Amino acid sequence: MKILLPVLALAALGLTGCATSVNTVQRANPQATPSYVADQRVITDTTLARKLSTVSVNEAKVSGNLLKIQVTLENRSTKPQAFTYKFDWIADDGMELSSPIDGWKQIQLEGREVRAISSIATNPRAVDFRLKVRENK
Amino acid sequence: MKSTRLAILALAAASAAFLTGCATQNNAKYVDAKGPNTIVSLNSINIQDWNTAADKLVASLLASGVLERAPELPAVMAISRIRNNTQQQVDTDSLTKKIRIALNQTGKVVTTTTMGPDGRVEDAMAADAGAMGAFMAGQKQVTKLPYYTLSGKLLEDRVSVGSTKQVTYTFQLSLTTVKDGLALWEGEELITKQGQRSSVGW
Repeated sequence: MKILLPVLALAALGLTGCATSVNTVQRANPQATPSYVADQRVITDTTLARKLSTVSVNEAKVSGNLLKIQVTLENRSTKPQAFTYKFDWIADDGMELSSPIDGWKQIQLEGREVRAISSIATNPRAVDFRLKVRENK
Repeated sequence: MKSTRLAILALAAASAAFLTGCATQNNAKYVDAKGPNTIVSLNSINIQDWNTAADKLVASLLASGVLERAPELPAVMAISRIRNNTQQQVDTDSLTKKIRIALNQTGKVVTTTTMGPDGRVEDAMAADAGAMGAFMAGQKQVTKLPYYTLSGKLLEDRVSVGSTKQVTYTFQLSLTTVKDGLALWEGEELITKQGQRSSVGW
C-alpha cells in the first residue's frame, strides 16, 4: 500500500503531462453569419471518427464565381493528432475536376483544438465537393 | 502429436508469408504523387511541399479578390524572377507552373510565354514567329503587355537540437501591377519538417 500511493501519484503526474489540450476564448454571441452546408458523412474508420469530429461545414463564393468550402474540425482527444485530408471538386455534370494543386494535405491539431480547413475550387464549374480525411500512421 | 505438427506447419506458413511481405517492401512500386505515401525528407523540398505551398498561395490570392480589379479578364500575367535562396538546386517552375495552371483554370489570368526576366522568354519560337509574322505583313508587332507580374523568393532555415533536425522552407510571392509597380497581393507560406531521418509516408 505504501508503495502503491507514490506509483499512483507518479502515474497521475504522467497523465497530466500528456494532456496538452487547448483552452479557447471567443465572443459569446458570434457576429458571423456563415452559410452552412447540409452534409452527408460516410464513416469507414470508427477510430478516426472517435478522435476527430466535424463541427460544421460552410461555403462561400470567392473571386466572383469560385466555390470555397470550409470544414471546422475538432480533435476530440487531449493529445496532439496529425491527419491528412483532401478536397475533391465535382462539376455540375457530376464529373470530378482535377487541378495541379489538389492532393492530400496535412493538418496537426493540438488536444481538443478546433480548427477550420478550407479549399477553393480553381474551376468555376465546381458545384459540389467531397472531403476525405485519414489519420496519419 | 497431430495437433503439434499442424501448429508447426501453420507457424511456418505464417513466417513465410511474413517474410514474403517484407521482401516485397523494398521493391520499386508506383505511389500516388499527390497521395500521403510519398517520401518526406529533411534535406530537400519534396513534391508534397511544392503542392501544399502552391495550393495555399493560390487560395490566398483568390480569396484576396484582387484579380477582379484588372480592367479586362483574363488579365495577362508574366512570370518574373523567383529567387532561390535555399541550399537546394531547385527549378522554381515546380511552384510557378502549378500556380499558373490553377490561375488559368479560374479563367481570370493567362500567362504570357513570350516575355521573361532579363529578356529570357519561355517560348522563344512563339516570340520569333510573332515578330516574323508582323514583319511579313508589314506591320508593327503588337505584343500583349502583361497587366501583372509574379515574383518571389524561396528561403530555407535549418536548426537542430541533438540528433533532431528541423528545416523550414518559406515560399514568398508578390503580384505586382505593371502600370504602377505596386504589389497588389503578397503571400507567404511556411513548411516546417522535423525529424532525425527521411521517412516514407506522412
